[in-house]
Amino acid sequence: MSRFAELLDRFFYRPDEAVGAFLELAPETEALPEAAPEELPEEFLAFELAGETYAVPIATVREIQKVGDVTEVPRAAPNLIGLINVRGEMLPLYDVKRRLDLADAVPVVRSRKDVGRGARVVLVKDPEGDAGILVDRVQGVVKLNLSRLESAPQLGVERDAVAGLSRKDGHLYILLDLEQALS
Amino acid sequence: MATERALDEFVTEANEILDQLAKDLFVLDQERGREPDPERLNAIFRGAHSLKGLSAMFGVDRISRLAHRAEDVLDALRLGKVPLDDRLIDTLIETLDMLQALLARVSQGTSAPDIEAGADHLQDRLGDLAKGRANAAEDLLDQVGLDPAMRSVFTEYEEHRLRENVKKGVGLWKVRAVYSLEDFDAQLAALNARLKPLGEVVSTLPSSQPGDEASIAFDLVFGSARPRADLEKALEGATLAPLTSRPAPEVTKVGRPLPPETSSPAPRPAPKWDETSASGFSPFPESPGSALRLAPDASLRSLTQTVRVDIARLDGLMNSIGELLLIRSNINRLAESARQVGTGVALPKLWGQELQREARALERKLDELQKGVLDVRMVPLGQVFDKLTRLMRRLVRESGKDVDFEVSGGDVELDKLIVEELSDPLMHLLRNSLDHGIEPPEVRRLHHKPTRGKIRLKAREQGNQVIIEVGDDGGGMDEARIRQVAVERGLVTEAQAQELSRRDLLNLVFLPGFSTRADVSEMSGRGVGLDVVKTNLQRLSGLIDIDSRRGDGTTFTLTLPLTLAIIRALMVSVSGRTYAVPLSSVMEIVSVRHADLKTIERREVFEVRGQTLPFVRLGRVFRLPEQPRERSYVVIIGLAQQRIGLAVDELLGQEDIVTKPLSGRLRAVPGVSGATELGDRRAVLVLDVGALMEELLRPQAAAS
Repeated sequence: MSRFAELLDRFFYRPDEAVGAFLELAPETEALPEAAPEELPEEFLAFELAGETYAVPIATVREIQKVGDVTEVPRAAPNLIGLINVRGEMLPLYDVKRRLDLADAVPVVRSRKDVGRGARVVLVKDPEGDAGILVDRVQGVVKLNLSRLESAPQLGVERDAVAGLSRKDGHLYILLDLEQALS
Repeated sequence: MATERALDEFVTEANEILDQLAKDLFVLDQERGREPDPERLNAIFRGAHSLKGLSAMFGVDRISRLAHRAEDVLDALRLGKVPLDDRLIDTLIETLDMLQALLARVSQGTSAPDIEAGADHLQDRLGDLAKGRANAAEDLLDQVGLDPAMRSVFTEYEEHRLRENVKKGVGLWKVRAVYSLEDFDAQLAALNARLKPLGEVVSTLPSSQPGDEASIAFDLVFGSARPRADLEKALEGATLAPLTSRPAPEVTKVGRPLPPETSSPAPRPAPKWDETSASGFSPFPESPGSALRLAPDASLRSLTQTVRVDIARLDGLMNSIGELLLIRSNINRLAESARQVGTGVALPKLWGQELQREARALERKLDELQKGVLDVRMVPLGQVFDKLTRLMRRLVRESGKDVDFEVSGGDVELDKLIVEELSDPLMHLLRNSLDHGIEPPEVRRLHHKPTRGKIRLKAREQGNQVIIEVGDDGGGMDEARIRQVAVERGLVTEAQAQELSRRDLLNLVFLPGFSTRADVSEMSGRGVGLDVVKTNLQRLSGLIDIDSRRGDGTTFTLTLPLTLAIIRALMVSVSGRTYAVPLSSVMEIVSVRHADLKTIERREVFEVRGQTLPFVRLGRVFRLPEQPRERSYVVIIGLAQQRIGLAVDELLGQEDIVTKPLSGRLRAVPGVSGATELGDRRAVLVLDVGALMEELLRPQAAAS
């Protein structure tokens, strides 16, 4: 009779069926992964801007691109170089040099021809919408210890786009505060 | 808390449940006073039940608790323990609104302290309702000559249905059916289908007297008002035996089914909900006990970005892709044969013809694919109209006015994006019609109009556009007042106001700052946030127009493109830069010699067929370097009644473009609505004609 019982079971509608089984599932979906221990060095992308070496956390970097066509956007923010097409997605390309006082003006870039050979677009993730920043050269990925972070010295210039400094193997890495740098 | 993705899924699913609940409750609401369809009650119960389970699973405790209480009430209702009265329906509708509000908060990731209290209150009220009154009626089931073994396996729900059937006084039958083991499920389903039109199958149980080895017997308890002969015809082999053995009590003489408390002769304990209503809660949502008032700016937009797609449409897409793959392999074959021929040797003519044929096929299929994808984006306007209908029913009740709300054209399909964006502007216009359009009954009587006002919401397709009309038969707009207010606010000068045509005058109400909420009531006019409506529509490349007759009412006409995804655009060039102008807002294109330009108050104007229009150099607006020219092409763009000539250097032709929104950081760029890529993958800006016109016309009015 067990086969019939099964068939019959499927046949009858039971409006009073319990929800208990679902409830038991609930706590599992809420479990959160433990936060990683703090000591590990973090990975950063290092790049050059006017001869200085800057770095941003690798987790904030979406991809690195060669410079292609850039479309000028009239009446936009002064630090905007233009609009770039990343596989159908229209993203803004920003200049950060002027913000960091490394240049007097935002460069006019319309295509590959307007930039140096090493120049790249670093696409960064941002809650306000992903954006590209134009860099002179990409150095690579470095591991930096966040616990040994120096704050930037007072140099008489506004440096609020700098999150801190880090030294490794004799190199100085300036950590860029992306949010400030893009504003 | 669940991860964001899981949360999205939860919101999508919960939303679907709530939408269905809303539909069912709406029917229940409309059929007030009639006996509810048990299937519908079941569906509502199941909805609340699923929502409870779902929200508990995702740890959304707030919703789960409220849904749980609602489920209790619905269960009691389903089992006939509590009667379905107005109070209960109102509370259920309120609960639905509350659940929707809570879900909206969940999807925004915000907590809801402001509605929390309301939810608690509602929860208590539901709890009270669920307790209801004990059903002290003498158990009617005892009158039924039912085998005790059979009765003991009845679910509570089945008992309730049986009781209802006894109350209706219909004949109760026991149907015994013996079917072969091989196909009993099909046979039983067929029997059910035959019996259903004749009455109600209360219960289906495997018989306590089993059949032989190769068959299985069922006992069906069946209630029907039809004579025995009718039933026997439908049985086809099953046997029929009457169930009621004892004389029916007097309640069965009641011809029309009645809710239990009226037919129950037994005294019942004081119902719990009477106590609560005595302590100040009235059964209508506008009472102070109402848990959730509709905020004036509450949005009707749905919380999710998903589209439900008919599987047939997806199959269509799949087919197109299949054919594209076929074409690809043909082209591959042609390429291969060209390679083998080698360099320097002319390809056979046949090869060229074949390649051309494939290219044409490719083009056709791509068109098909594009159309198919657009189709998938299309949803019926009814999705929004349904929500608006519910909202209007409530607003009408709250307003105390006597208004008929007519809706038509809900089956017209539009791009999902547009349908979503439309809900708020339409809500605005409808509220406007109700609040300011329809006069109070006394005034209407005075003007020899029917006291019952009328508000219409109509949609129809017209070519590549959809026209939506929101109209009322109210008092209409007062032109003199509009003129006066516009002058007072400095939107136009006295002289300008006198010269404006009727239509232009009416359109002044769309100007920002035309009216502020505070003084709308004193000027008895319209225009509450109409500038917002206009801005919303402009974002959708839509047009809005007003027609209003003093005393006869006002009609707003919205013209919208069928889809936003792919639009036809005119490509223009200015100082070497390329821009796309949506063709839907291009009225005409003329060529103008700069020598023919005139100025008015030092602003350049030109004449086209006797009409003088502003001549606006796009290059200057965008602060681009300018080269001296002798003539320009002028693209005449229009929105509502306004026209502007946009001067550009070159016309580069028309293109079908897919407008991509600009990322968050660039959203505020004036005059640009998005970007699109051209064949060379360069990004090209798409002009926001509405915003441009707004910008170009406003300083003019203010300056004068």
